[in-house]
Amino acid sequence: MAKDIYVFVECKDGTIRKASLELLSKARELTEKTFSNVYAVAVGFGMNEIAEDLKFFADKVIIVDNQDLKDYRWDTYRGVLEYIIKKYNPFMVFGVATATGKDLFPRLAARLNTAIIADAIGIEYEGEEIKVRKPFFGGKILSWMAFRHGIAPVITFRPNSFAIEKRQTGGEIVEETVEIKKDPRLTTLKLNKGSNHKVDLQEADFIICGGRGMKGSEHFRILEEIAYIMNGRVGASRAVVDSKWREYDDQVGKSGKTVAPKVYIGCGISGALHHTMGMDTSKTIVAINKDPNAPIFQYADYGIVDDLFAILPALKEELKKTKEEN
Amino acid sequence: MKILVFIKHVADTEARILISSDKKTLEIENKYTMSFFDEFAVEEALRIKEKLKEGQVVVCTFGNKKAIEALRTAVAMGADSAFLIDNTDMENDDPMVNAKVLSGFAKREGFDLILCGRQAIDDENACLGPMIAEFLDIPHVSTITKLEIIEIKKILVESEIEGGTALTEVQLPALLTVQKGLNEPRVPLITGVMKAMKTAVPVVDPSEFGIIKNELNNESRTYVLSYEPPSGRPPVKIVEGEAADIKVKNLIELLRNEARAI
Ligand SMILES: Cc1cc2nc3c(=O)[nH]c(=O)nc-3n(C[C@H](O)[C@H](O)[C@H](O)COP(=O)(O)OP(=O)(O)OC[C@H]3O[C@@H](n4cnc5c(N)ncnc54)[C@H](O)[C@@H]3O)c2cc1C
Repeated sequence: MAKDIYVFVECKDGTIRKASLELLSKARELTEKTFSNVYAVAVGFGMNEIAEDLKFFADKVIIVDNQDLKDYRWDTYRGVLEYIIKKYNPFMVFGVATATGKDLFPRLAARLNTAIIADAIGIEYEGEEIKVRKPFFGGKILSWMAFRHGIAPVITFRPNSFAIEKRQTGGEIVEETVEIKKDPRLTTLKLNKGSNHKVDLQEADFIICGGRGMKGSEHFRILEEIAYIMNGRVGASRAVVDSKWREYDDQVGKSGKTVAPKVYIGCGISGALHHTMGMDTSKTIVAINKDPNAPIFQYADYGIVDDLFAILPALKEELKKTKEEN
Repeated sequence: MKILVFIKHVADTEARILISSDKKTLEIENKYTMSFFDEFAVEEALRIKEKLKEGQVVVCTFGNKKAIEALRTAVAMGADSAFLIDNTDMENDDPMVNAKVLSGFAKREGFDLILCGRQAIDDENACLGPMIAEFLDIPHVSTITKLEIIEIKKILVESEIEGGTALTEVQLPALLTVQKGLNEPRVPLITGVMKAMKTAVPVVDPSEFGIIKNELNNESRTYVLSYEPPSGRPPVKIVEGEAADIKVKNLIELLRNEARAI
């Protein structure tokens, strides 16, 4: 049996989300071992360019292009994916564990009465067995999980779980027409996509996080500048969000977001468990704190013990130089 | 209005967790609490009832005997009644099993509205809400931050979506998962705590609403192969230097050439 993997592609402002490209790249690595295909499934409105871009990440690109799919809703998207999955009968379905993915996939899995593993960070094949890596308790425990049975099991992965790799030759585009049915019990009155952030916090591969040690909202400007240079995002501890220096959207930790960027820099953050639970799977962690005994140093790869107000201007200059050299 | 609130009893952040020698089970220190986002769900249910000056708030969890503590917390906050669905001898690693059990309970109990936290803080699955809604064939909205009752069968909710917020009108019965910011959960008063201690929490067996344990166990689709501790980082390297700018230069050098992170 072919072991084709179908990746549900999320788009944002007319571009493919980085996290979806990661899943397509991982799916390719897995399907190469079984001589199977990767299918990219993209749903939305005005999808031509996206389809062309996706060709370099999948063997087949399935596009469902319809005005009624312009904005995501679980009812319309569920209907489309249900149709595709029933028609094509995939071996596995991958999606991203974003706000959209968390809203859509559990409902879809229940609808199809299939298996789901949510919020995973890795996957391996061992012979016939699929092993899925999933953290528990904010990363205090890691697990390998497996499927017992279930057709077309669904797995959602956290952003930043895999590397992105483009391929040389392009795949084929298939357009599907699906009847769109809206649930009449749900009326969208207003969508406010006011987020002025280029990069999503959970998707950013560089995050510089400020804590209470930043002393006030006005000092976050330099963090913004550094994030801009690195094409990343500013994060915050709960102490900062509670003080209204930053929005809740920026909060990293147990009651905020779980992030795993390539580089996390914590400035004036003590490293309470509630905070570290949300960032300890980051690849490289840097802590800047004037207290050599701050717990954050137990989670960091590199530490600077100093006044952050002396460090940050120099850090900004050095990172700028590094970027210019590259 | 009858409101069901599904909550989960989870290991506290500080609880020590040990992995058994066969790596198959976890031993969790006896420090448990109601899952963080569920408190907002209980609070919102109470506020709706207070505002409408009528209604009933029923809390329920699918868990072991210990979970009665979380239910009592909800009763202490003001919930009218609480039920524990006993998960002894049931598969627990598959959210689908949990969702089937809880939707079975909801069908028996009847409801106008179901509230639950946006995700549990132990597994971070965020699966239960949308799944229960699917099994009950009712609409759902995830991560709500505002709720207003317009008429008896219609509500208005603001919710977080990718990159912004949405305003949605929802017909009841419906299920909502709640996000932090929706309200400030109350701290139970001492009278509430006293009442909660005296309240009987019925333990319900899934068979009471037609769920046959063995059948559902056989349907369970996912399981844990093994648990491991995270590999852990080597001890931190404190970057030295005579002055701030030298420390930063040395840090950048390490990030570039040792960690290859930038
Ligand atoms: C149920 C619950 C959920 C929670 N969820 C979260 C969550 O999601 N995210 C989260 O972050 N927290 C969360 N918390 C709060 C958490 O426990 C901590 O209180 C919080 O993370 C502390 O924030 P902080 O590190 O910014 O502040 P502090 O702990 O006050 O630390 C400030 C640090 O700044 C350093 N500092 C001060 N001045 C300077 C300077 N000039 N230069 C360098 N360093 C300096 C200090 O040495 C200190 O280490 C939660 C708590 C609870 C109870």
